[in-house]
Amino acid sequence: MKLSKNFTNPLAANNPVIVQILGICSALAVTVKLEPAFVMGISVTFVCAFSNLLMSLLRNSVPSRIRIIVQLVVIATLVIVVDQVLRAFMYDVSKQLSVYVGLIITNCIVMGRVEAFALGNKPWASFVDGIANGLGYTIILVMVAFFRELFGSGSLFGQTIIPESWYIANGGFYSNTGLMLFPPMALIIVGCIIWIHRTINKDLQEK
Amino acid sequence: MAINKNSNAYIIIYTVVMVVIVGALLAFLATSLKDKQDANVLNEQKTSIMKAFGEAEANFDEVVTIGSITDGEFVVVEDAAATFELLGDRKALAAIENNLPIFKLEKDDVVKYVLPIVGKGLWGDIWGYVSLQQTEDNVVITGIVMDHAGETPGLGAEIAAAKVQNMFQSKKLYDETGAFAVRMQKGGAQNEHQVDAISGGTKTCDGVNAMLETSISKYESFLRGAEVEAEADVEGDEVATEECCGDCCCETEEATVVEPTNEVEE
Repeated sequence: MKLSKNFTNPLAANNPVIVQILGICSALAVTVKLEPAFVMGISVTFVCAFSNLLMSLLRNSVPSRIRIIVQLVVIATLVIVVDQVLRAFMYDVSKQLSVYVGLIITNCIVMGRVEAFALGNKPWASFVDGIANGLGYTIILVMVAFFRELFGSGSLFGQTIIPESWYIANGGFYSNTGLMLFPPMALIIVGCIIWIHRTINKDLQEK
Repeated sequence: MAINKNSNAYIIIYTVVMVVIVGALLAFLATSLKDKQDANVLNEQKTSIMKAFGEAEANFDEVVTIGSITDGEFVVVEDAAATFELLGDRKALAAIENNLPIFKLEKDDVVKYVLPIVGKGLWGDIWGYVSLQQTEDNVVITGIVMDHAGETPGLGAEIAAAKVQNMFQSKKLYDETGAFAVRMQKGGAQNEHQVDAISGGTKTCDGVNAMLETSISKYESFLRGAEVEAEADVEGDEVATEECCGDCCCETEEATVVEPTNEVEE
């Protein structure tokens, strides 16, 4: 597969979230607001890229019987390194991420890509694949968070978007949708995105 | 000679080498970054305290006196490191009954105290700092800073937002019967002690209520004692109050503003 295809494929046609249905758990957890969704996306992209790169470099020496353990060690180490460095040099960002950093280790996309791609491909291609899959994940997270924050809290990136005067409390007609703040709504939005995506990409539809 | 990568010996050596490398790397990283991380935590504590005082711009080390409440009396503490270590250990802070940490800031003849508060939200710890000022017959909140470990974003986590924290401004701690009355009230604030609760974040708000009551009540004897002193002071030097500058007058204005608005609501 060509490198450019390698990069664009996970963004839409073979998106990890809406086609492979990986990483749904964190898509529910961190998409109430845009900011954590965005930061989570960037962190996963980073970890995914470097775990792919490292595992690809190690691929010829890893005993196949313990490869999952080796993958876990590599991913967990990377996440801890990121966490420690953030805590020392970017304390505010590290507070933002708090529990999500730990969640990256359990993200199925990271391990899925290592197992499915990095173990069988050269380092550079694996690195690109990691970045592309991370970005594919970020795109979906940001889309879901956009709708949830806008309709759930009336803001985007913490900035109020819906004018205060629209609210019923201030004599207007509008009120935030509380349901948007709950995890089931993320699942429904992801469902809608999958629906639209499949309508456009006919080859994804099962016969 | 090709190595058999699936032989037990290879696997064991591989694992041992991997664990040693990773262990050494992480140990090195943790120790070499520890100083910087500790400095960040300390800085964060100081900034939060200054935010609670409403003096985010001022330098903590220059203006704040670190003290402790020992047997109901304010005692100046020299060992700042021990106090901050205690603030970092929320379990110990919640359990402590005497020698309670407190911060004092005097500016333009107004004395404010900041106390640490700790409690449990819906998913994990919640904590913060509350700034209090004694008035003639009550204790008034002048600022609050709260943070949380993992409350629901958009719901309980809103306690960390300035919008929620600002609502605590100038709320009076004790009602007519002398009972602790500040709380986040579901359905909206009903009187001068209450604050609107966050809809969808009821459990977190309950946690905030419990946190405020248990944490502040430990200081009650001191706060109440000093309250009487404040009353005596006001009676003693009326001239001083008249002469006072813009800042204190604002304080008194704030107190009077609160009452009429509440009457309207009732």
